[in-house]
Amino acid sequence: MDPAALPASPINLDHPGHYLHWGVIQLSVANLVVIAAMIVVFVLALLLPFPKGKGPS
Amino acid sequence: MNTTETAHQTRPYDLVKEFVIALVAVAALTVVLAAVFSSPDEKPITLASWAKAAPGDFIATSAAELAGTSTSAAYGAPYNHVPGAGQKLGPLPLQRWAGVRSPIDPAQDFVIGPLTAAPQDPALATALATYRAAAPDQRHKQAASYADALSKAPAGDSAKVAPGDYGTTPVLTARLLDLARGGGLDGTLLTEGGFYSSDYTRPLLFLADGTYLADQATAQHLTGNQWGMMNETGNYPGQAWLWLYTFWYQVPPYKTSTNADALIWATMAALTVLLAAIPFIPGLRSIPRWSGIYRLIWRDHYRRQR
Repeated sequence: MDPAALPASPINLDHPGHYLHWGVIQLSVANLVVIAAMIVVFVLALLLPFPKGKGPS
Repeated sequence: MNTTETAHQTRPYDLVKEFVIALVAVAALTVVLAAVFSSPDEKPITLASWAKAAPGDFIATSAAELAGTSTSAAYGAPYNHVPGAGQKLGPLPLQRWAGVRSPIDPAQDFVIGPLTAAPQDPALATALATYRAAAPDQRHKQAASYADALSKAPAGDSAKVAPGDYGTTPVLTARLLDLARGGGLDGTLLTEGGFYSSDYTRPLLFLADGTYLADQATAQHLTGNQWGMMNETGNYPGQAWLWLYTFWYQVPPYKTSTNADALIWATMAALTVLLAAIPFIPGLRSIPRWSGIYRLIWRDHYRRQR
């Protein structure tokens, strides 16, 4: 299939990347977003209540 | 039922149900994210695109292959026998122990072989015959002189090289450039011979001997000193989980060591053993208890106990 015939994705990330620098640390904004999302999911996993089971507790 | 089993509360939990829900949710998320963001679509760098975009670098690299001064020529195992070459861990020559399993002679495999296999006019046939008749020392000396002259020519332009005793090097490298520009060199260096070719070792080694590939990698933040192991092209997220592996390459003594790969491999192996042994290490094994996170997870249980 001709790739040109495929519909373009709504958000195109094929542009030069953005990078942050702190001393020896060099991190892409894209990786930072993913790391932040992982931390949010981890915190939610800790804080969200367990679903209540139907059986006796 | 004994008293130990009845001493704490139990609750039913459907692990299969949780697994199915997680599988469906992750599959749906994958489809949605792929539709919204697509995936990296970087055009491949080929020998043809290199020859067209940076002919000066291509000619200089070809001359270095003939001179035996390229990175590939000095690499050692698994490509060739070079005394003292290769990664070591202290006195242990790990890379050399692996042996030469994919023998490569850069001058023959990247330059002379492809030119011999290509259609030859009288000038190229004469140059190849003259090259083969010359002593190895003379070939290396002439190619090295040409590479040196190229580096001093304005903008590395092979047309502006100062006159000198370069033997057949200018003809051979110029013809290899023509072959590469036409796409023939890419096919010749894929040596498997079958319909499907997936072994890019030779074209990649040749490409990596030049500066063009490294320049492209640097522009995309993919080199070792740019945390490149965890980066992806464009604005896409990469392999963030490799952060610790690539971290070591940024700090001394690994940063300045010629054996960084072996040292970092050993460091990560030691840390992996340490991680696996945590349940047996006093102090480290108590961190989960000290941190109290378990009390947060099971807060309902501890609230009822109060």
